Amino acid sequence: MKILLIEDQLELSNNIREFLESEGIACEFCGNCFDAQDKLLVYHYDCIILDIMLPDGNGLDLIGFIKKNQKSSNILIISAKNSLQDKLDGLDLGADDYMTKPFHLAELHARLKVLYRRNQLGGTDKLIFNEIQVNPENLEVTVNQTLLELTKKEFDLLVFFLTNKNRVLGRQAIVEHLWGDYTDDLANFDFVYQHIKNLRKKICQAGGTDYIETVYGIGYKFNTTKE
Amino acid sequence: MKLINQFTIWYLGISIIVFLIGGVLIFYKLESEIDFEQGRELERQLDRYARKMESMDNPSSLSKNRLEIRELPVDQALIPFQQGDTLAWHEPLEQVERQVKAGRSYLINGKHYYMSMYNIMIESDDITETVVQTMVAIFLLLLIFIAITSRLVSKKILQPFHSSLTKIREFTFKENQPLVFEPSRIEEFEKLHAFLNRMSERMLGDYKIVKEFSENLSHEIQTPIAITFGKLELLLNSPITDQQARWIAAAYQSTQKMRKIVNSLATLAKLENQEFEGNQQVDLSDLLKNSIAGYDELVAIKNISLHHQIEPGIKIEMHPYMAEMLIDNLLSNAIKHNEKPGYIKIEATPNELNFRNKGKKPKADVSEYLDRFKKGNPNSESIGLGLSIVQQICRIHGFILDYQFIEEEHRVSIQLQN
Repeated sequence: MKILLIEDQLELSNNIREFLESEGIACEFCGNCFDAQDKLLVYHYDCIILDIMLPDGNGLDLIGFIKKNQKSSNILIISAKNSLQDKLDGLDLGADDYMTKPFHLAELHARLKVLYRRNQLGGTDKLIFNEIQVNPENLEVTVNQTLLELTKKEFDLLVFFLTNKNRVLGRQAIVEHLWGDYTDDLANFDFVYQHIKNLRKKICQAGGTDYIETVYGIGYKFNTTKE
Repeated sequence: MKLINQFTIWYLGISIIVFLIGGVLIFYKLESEIDFEQGRELERQLDRYARKMESMDNPSSLSKNRLEIRELPVDQALIPFQQGDTLAWHEPLEQVERQVKAGRSYLINGKHYYMSMYNIMIESDDITETVVQTMVAIFLLLLIFIAITSRLVSKKILQPFHSSLTKIREFTFKENQPLVFEPSRIEEFEKLHAFLNRMSERMLGDYKIVKEFSENLSHEIQTPIAITFGKLELLLNSPITDQQARWIAAAYQSTQKMRKIVNSLATLAKLENQEFEGNQQVDLSDLLKNSIAGYDELVAIKNISLHHQIEPGIKIEMHPYMAEMLIDNLLSNAIKHNEKPGYIKIEATPNELNFRNKGKKPKADVSEYLDRFKKGNPNSESIGLGLSIVQQICRIHGFILDYQFIEEEHRVSIQLQN
């Protein structure tokens, strides 16, 4: 998977690049519209992460250019402006997703993966890790060929973990991934704990390994080295 | 009271004073003029009698009721014309009346005579009556004329004023147009127009600055927060000790809080700038039910029993986003500030929206919670802007917000009809 990051904040793009590269995603970077157009004419990218406010123009204006030159690319807008109008405009012009800064890198990664699976792989590939198989198409999860009865939230949670294996996922990141922004002010993590407890129980009951571990005071981690 | 009525009343009041003073002046002037003229007339009569006496042998025989003739020593100096009044019998009226008396002495045929005459005086009562009647008549005329003409004239004169009023009423920040008025010939209106024009320009300028500031603030702060966030996330996943992980987690949470504050402040600024325009019919009943459904899980996990009584089909004129924000803030507040075993009671009628939930007694006066950054528990994760946002939304829509703590219950009620 290869992506182009169009973002004028150097440090922010460093964060994103380091995170994505450690996940094995090739990440190219440019800081303005002009350079972006240069790169878009020459190379192909699976996904383009696009900031709206760029020093030499509005990122929204680039969407048309991308759509013309890179038909199969997905566009993910990242914006500091939490403006509904920008979001609607962006999605109207052909962007696939919209995130408001600041976001969790794990969340960005998860969304990129969703776009990639959906558009590039036709949404047919299964997420497979050892005994766990996740089929995003029909929302089915099997552990050792046993079908798990998961709720929607538990399913989302498992996909989030599988996308961000071996990473510490903060509780806040999980809350926002599952419930979106509108639980913003409800800093109560009991319900994350409940969902994770249920998910672990269901995987263990089907004979799976309990990969999910608690990182005290911070969050959780899907530890692939667990036996 | 209308300006024109005020004007009319003042004008009439002043007229009354002027008419009173004028009436008194006219009275005295008239009286003295009549006295003077009467005196002159008497003098002329005396002169006529004197000429008559020259051709008579016995002048004293002319003496009669109103004419008195007295002979004076010849060597006495002539007495000039003098006028006075006296009380004398008045035959036609058959009573003693105040009369004008005039007299002088003449040298007739070598003899010295003093002659005096009197005549009935015009009574001051009569003069007063005349003056008062005239004045009242003029005053009534004035009253009628003013009443009619002022209505007609004021419409014409105040027309620019009313059109200016309409313009001011229709002024909004959204259109970003300063107030411009039609030129008026009236100096006061011109001054007012110039002033309002300057003021509206300055207001638009200030508004723009505030708006830009809140926009820039949320944008400029979000970026560094985003960078900090990313770095902390990367740090969390690098090889670190437990102790370091906890430090990072604390920094992470504080950054999270900072982000919430900036978001909420930006929202408040947007509300205060009245950037949400375009009210629509919002179905409050549906909105409430959807929101409650959205928080279902959280309510269940926190072991809160939620009862609601929502009349179907409650429609209000509101910006849909603000309506959502209002309900969300109320509901999340009720969940957040609950105490086990907790409950929430929601009642909605077309007139009123009530949220009640069990909770701890607040330490400070409850009305303070409407202020920014006031919260019951200083260590809580909430940032204390929720109720401010609710209050601001209520203020914009003219709803009346009431918040009380009674019998271990937080009670928030909003009157939707104003």
